[in-house]
Amino acid sequence: MTYTDWLRADRLPHIYCAGCGNGTVINCTLNAVVQAGLKKEETVFVSGIGCSSRAPGYIVTDSLHTTHGRALAFATGIKMANPALSVIVFTGDGDLAAIGGNHFIHACRRNIDLTVVCMNNMIYGMTGGQGSPTTPRMALSTTTPYGSAEPAFDLCELAIAAGANYVSRWTSYHVKELTRAILAGLRTPGLSFIEAMVQCPTNFGRRNRYRQPLDQVEYFKAHGMLVEKVRRMQEEGREIPPDTIVLGELARRNRPAMGVKP
Amino acid sequence: MKLVIDEKRCKGCNLCTMVCPYKIYKPGKKPNERGIVVPELDRPERCPNCRLQALYGRTLCGMCQMICPDQAISWVDEKPGEKKKVAIEF
Ligand SMILES: Cc1ncc(C[n+]2csc(CCOP(=O)(O)OP(=O)(O)O)c2C)c(N)n1
Ligand code: SF4
Ligand code: SF4
Ligand code: SF4
Ligand SMILES: [Mg+2]
Repeated sequence: MTYTDWLRADRLPHIYCAGCGNGTVINCTLNAVVQAGLKKEETVFVSGIGCSSRAPGYIVTDSLHTTHGRALAFATGIKMANPALSVIVFTGDGDLAAIGGNHFIHACRRNIDLTVVCMNNMIYGMTGGQGSPTTPRMALSTTTPYGSAEPAFDLCELAIAAGANYVSRWTSYHVKELTRAILAGLRTPGLSFIEAMVQCPTNFGRRNRYRQPLDQVEYFKAHGMLVEKVRRMQEEGREIPPDTIVLGELARRNRPAMGVKP
Repeated sequence: MKLVIDEKRCKGCNLCTMVCPYKIYKPGKKPNERGIVVPELDRPERCPNCRLQALYGRTLCGMCQMICPDQAISWVDEKPGEKKKVAIEF
């Protein structure tokens, strides 16, 4: 079996803009699901609202496309009712960290046995490019026309502080590593949070000097740094460039979890 | 097997041109009937999957297929009677 067997071919091509990173994250997630040996009848995809949240509609399994910010609440319900299911949540930075911020921290605190894949494009893509809690300082959006003045959330730090058992960050450039991280997340009991930095050429890229989808992917490639190297540099007292994207496995632990597969 | 881009799915983003170690994908020049500039393939028979995917029963490398956000890249069997083309490049 390959990951293409999990796609609803009749629904493709999908609605995403040319070069949108969300499509790549779907590929990586389905590859991980196949490698984990999950069964279609025992797997559920859940999402909120946003471009990223449309992903379950292109997958053959049962899914819930819920209300904005509430994917984790619905996923918690599924897991509590039937822990035997594998539940994977697709969410966006706005869906997860703005309107859904409370659900996020409490799902991590309860350490519900979910795999949460956040497609972080640092913007509200679907509604036309408003700033989100992860929009970087100085980045342009329709609500920050002179550059965002606010510090951005680090979603992985948030997940770790709130108690998730597994936390990783990769980008749409690092397809093999991202697949491996999602696979590790699927295999770790408790809440696994995988942040996938993605390009949104239409609403983030074109306002922030990435003229082509490729340009933002090149940026991810150039500015990503493995967490091991970041820690080594910190120990040596060396300065980490301010726009570094810290990549890799950021937490793996064994806190008490809820809804774990019997 | 041979490497193909599904013109009904490709949106011409050129992400595939970034990742192939053999530089098989080149940015296209002409829009197709859907108005999309699909990348051109430079001797796709060099992709190790053309030679080895059926033999190994799995996809090798696969970077282009994984990064393609539109699920447009695949390897298909040649039609009966069609000449098989493979090339080895190190
Ligand atoms: C309760 C509610 N508030 C606001 C909206 C409008 N809305 C739809 S999508 C969205 C933001 C999506 O951003 P994100 O989660 O980052 O997804 P993206 O489109 O960037 O993938 C908002 C505010 C809504 N649908 N429902
Ligand atoms: S608006 Fe952005 S996130 Fe939404 S489909 Fe287009 S590129 Fe992707
Ligand atoms: S599988 Fe690898 S070598 Fe083959 S075309 Fe794709 S990127 Fe190139
Ligand atoms: S990555 Fe896919 S959609 Fe983009 S140009 Fe290549 S084949 Fe087309
Ligand atoms: Mg977003």
